[in-house]
Parts: sequence; C-alpha cells; structure tokens
Amino acid sequence: MAIEAQPRSKAEDFLRAVVAHDADGAIVVDQHGTVRFLNRAAEQLLNRHGAELKGQVFGFPLVVGERAEVEVLRPNGEFAVAEMRVLSIEWEGQDALLITLRDVTFERQAEAALREAEAFSIAILNSLTSEIVVLDEQGKIVAVNEAWLEFGRRHGVTDVSTIGVGADYFAICAAAEPGTGGPAVLQGLQAVLAGELNEFTYEYPVSTPEETRWFALRAVSLRSARKGLVVAHNDITQQRRAAQIAAEAEMLREQVRQMERELANVEAISRPDDMARSRLAPLRQRDAEHFQRALNRYGELLEAALASRVHRLPAPSRSLRELGEWLGSIWAAPRDLIDIHLQAMRDRSQDHTPKKLQAYFEEGRLLLLELMGHLASYYRSIAAGEVSFRE
Amino acid sequence: MSKIVLHLYIAGQTPRAERAINTLRQMIEHDLAGYECELTIIDVLANPQQAEEQKILATPTLIKSLPLPHRRVIGDLSNVKDLLNVLNLPPQS
Repeated sequence: MAIEAQPRSKAEDFLRAVVAHDADGAIVVDQHGTVRFLNRAAEQLLNRHGAELKGQVFGFPLVVGERAEVEVLRPNGEFAVAEMRVLSIEWEGQDALLITLRDVTFERQAEAALREAEAFSIAILNSLTSEIVVLDEQGKIVAVNEAWLEFGRRHGVTDVSTIGVGADYFAICAAAEPGTGGPAVLQGLQAVLAGELNEFTYEYPVSTPEETRWFALRAVSLRSARKGLVVAHNDITQQRRAAQIAAEAEMLREQVRQMERELANVEAISRPDDMARSRLAPLRQRDAEHFQRALNRYGELLEAALASRVHRLPAPSRSLRELGEWLGSIWAAPRDLIDIHLQAMRDRSQDHTPKKLQAYFEEGRLLLLELMGHLASYYRSIAAGEVSFRE
Repeated sequence: MSKIVLHLYIAGQTPRAERAINTLRQMIEHDLAGYECELTIIDVLANPQQAEEQKILATPTLIKSLPLPHRRVIGDLSNVKDLLNVLNLPPQS
C-alpha cells in the first residue's frame, strides 16, 4: 500500500475509503492496542456498534508469519473464527496498526466436520476385526485399521510405517518371495481395479514357530468417486479346521461303507432271532450311558495311541480288541463307532494346535479301522457259534 | 522486586489456546524464573460474564495487569521473544 508517496491527508483519506468498503473486518489500533477506527464489516463480525468500541482496548496484535487465527467474541456469548493480518500504517498522523479480520468460521466448521467424518470412518474401520487396507489406484495405502497394524506387529513388523498409510501395497506384493502368492495377489488386485473382476479372493497361510494360521484376502473396488480398492484379510483358521474335520468325516464314511457292507452280512448271521438289531436306534440315542462310556474309553485309547506315536512304543492293541468286543456285546453298529470317533475328534478340535489335531486324525483313523475289524471279528465269532451272545 | 500478574483469556481447549498456555508456562519458568509470577487462565466459554466485564473482544488475549502499565496482546502467542518484547518484560528494575 503506497501511502508514504502521497500527501498524508490524501493517503489517509484513500486508506479510509479502501478500508471502509473492505469486505473483511478492518480495525485500526494505536500502539497501545486502542481502537481508532473500525469498518462496517468489523462491526458485523463483532456484532457490536463502532461507537461502543472506539477508544476501547482491542489489544496489540501479534502474528507469527503472515497471519494468526483468533476467536472473535460477540456479546451474546457466541464467537466466530477469524484470520487476522496486521499491517503497520499511519493513521491521523500517528503510527498505527491495521488489523484485518477475515471470517473463516464456515471453513473451519467444514474442516472440523470433515475431520469428524474421517475420524468416524476410521472408528468404523477400527471397530472391525478384519484387517482392512484401503488402496488408491496406484496401489498406495491410503487408510488402514488398527487390526491390520496389530496383525503386522504380531508377525514381526517393527516399523508399522512400512505397512501403514503411504506404503506401496503393490510393491510389497511384487517383492514377496516366490511361492508366497504375492504375484497372484497383485494380478488379482489389478484385475479388480481395472474392472475385470468384481472381487478377488485368495487364501494364504501365515506360519509362526507356534502355529500356522490361515487367512482369506478379499479385494473389492472402493465405492466412491476416487478409484481404489478395499482389501480385507480375515482369519479363517477355524473355518478351515471345521472344513478339515468335515472332509475327514466324509473320508471315514467312505472307508467304513465297505466295512459296513461286510459287517451287515456277518451281523445278519450272528443276530439272535429275537433281536431285530437292524432296526435299533443309534447307540447315542438308545443308551447314552454306554455311549459315554465307549467315548471315554475310545478317548483314552486315542491318547495312548498318540503317546505311543510320540514315544515310538507299541500301540495297546489288546485294549482296543476288548473295546471292540464290548461294543459288540451291546450291539453297537459301525455307524455307532463312527459316531464315537467323530465325537472324540470334535471334543479335541477346540483346544489343540492344527499339528496336534492332524496327529489325532491320523491316529484316530487307524484306531477306528482297527476297532471296526475287532467288531467284525466279534460278530463273525457269534455267527460261527464260537462266542455266545450275551445281553 | 515487582510482581508480574498475567491473565490469559481463551475460548475452549483449542490448539491455539494450548499453544498460548505452553508459551506462557515456558516464559514464566525460563525467562521470568527470577520473578514472582501469577498467571490466571480464564475460559470465556465457561465465564462469559468475566470476558464481557473485561471487554475481551478476541481470544487468545493476554493482559498484563502488573507491573504497570497495563498491556493487552491478542493473536498468536507462540513466540516467547515477541511476547516479552510487547509486554515489556522482564521489568526493568
């Protein structure tokens, strides 16, 4: 503002005219901070009359850099946020300061609302137990949730910035060791981004010295104006265990189906005339106490078989034959043996590592087949009249 | 030795207010360590009447009541050197 180049009175008149019509609030204060002049916009901003303020101490304005932000107080207790700038001028022949106040309340409220919305989005992400990563169209991470960072920490990531906002997820996939599925995942993510796939899923194991856990990655397009991807990782170890148990059960059914056919013949021959055993209900239903007793004994033999495997000792075959014969004596059918076996597996599936569970499956399968064999032998003996049926 | 009495008016716990409080604490503990200082912080949202009585028009406002003369400063109170200069502190004995 070239004030000094003009005669003082004209320069002041010019300045007064400019300031008076300025859309921003303008207050002229002397070196003590006392108000000498204020324009209409300043009156509106402060919601006070100029006459009330002239001669009152507004304060000596301090800014660091070009501007400072202040709250402007109104008589009704409300306040506005204003951006304050200060300029040294001459006013009525004395050194003075021109304070301009631009009302930025709306902008700050909008920014606060935006921050709140972002915080709300992050809170939603953090409330999810799935590990979530949001990527931009270049594959850069633009948002993650706490579960994702915790997942990284649990798996040895010491610097979370390497898996946090700003990290290059595509580059991480591309740099993954061969055989880890990194390139396949990268290809899948890019296909979703290009609109070739609606979603991409990939299951992968993560091993620690203690255990192996399975995760499912699911990537979908970000539903917003910005292009991007939402990648969710879910721990599916439990589901995989359940599927493994179901597959084991199915395989066992296949294996015993043949034995059942063989047993059916033996059973028919050995069956006393007064018993219509083929119409008997499953052991679990018709005799819960015997079922539980058989389950307990089977469990003991399973544990013993596992211990034998670990310590390389011979398996307790005699006890298994005794159990087979006892089951025969209470007219257990092959389906009852399968029922007992599967219950024993289910009882153990909750509290054991996948490795131990696998050992139970392998030992249990052998045990069950052997038990079936003992049951078949028992029925054959009855059929041949070597053993008499005992109730 | 003259006592220094300061009143800081703020409008809620904004970053601006926190910066001002930190600057003043630093100033009192380091630059005015040899003086008896009294700093009162008034939140105008909680005490609008007090703000009106003191004719506080903007926050943050810092008022130096003692030593005389009174001085009132508004705006960015984050620079200790500027503050000491404007408030004419430490007092010249």
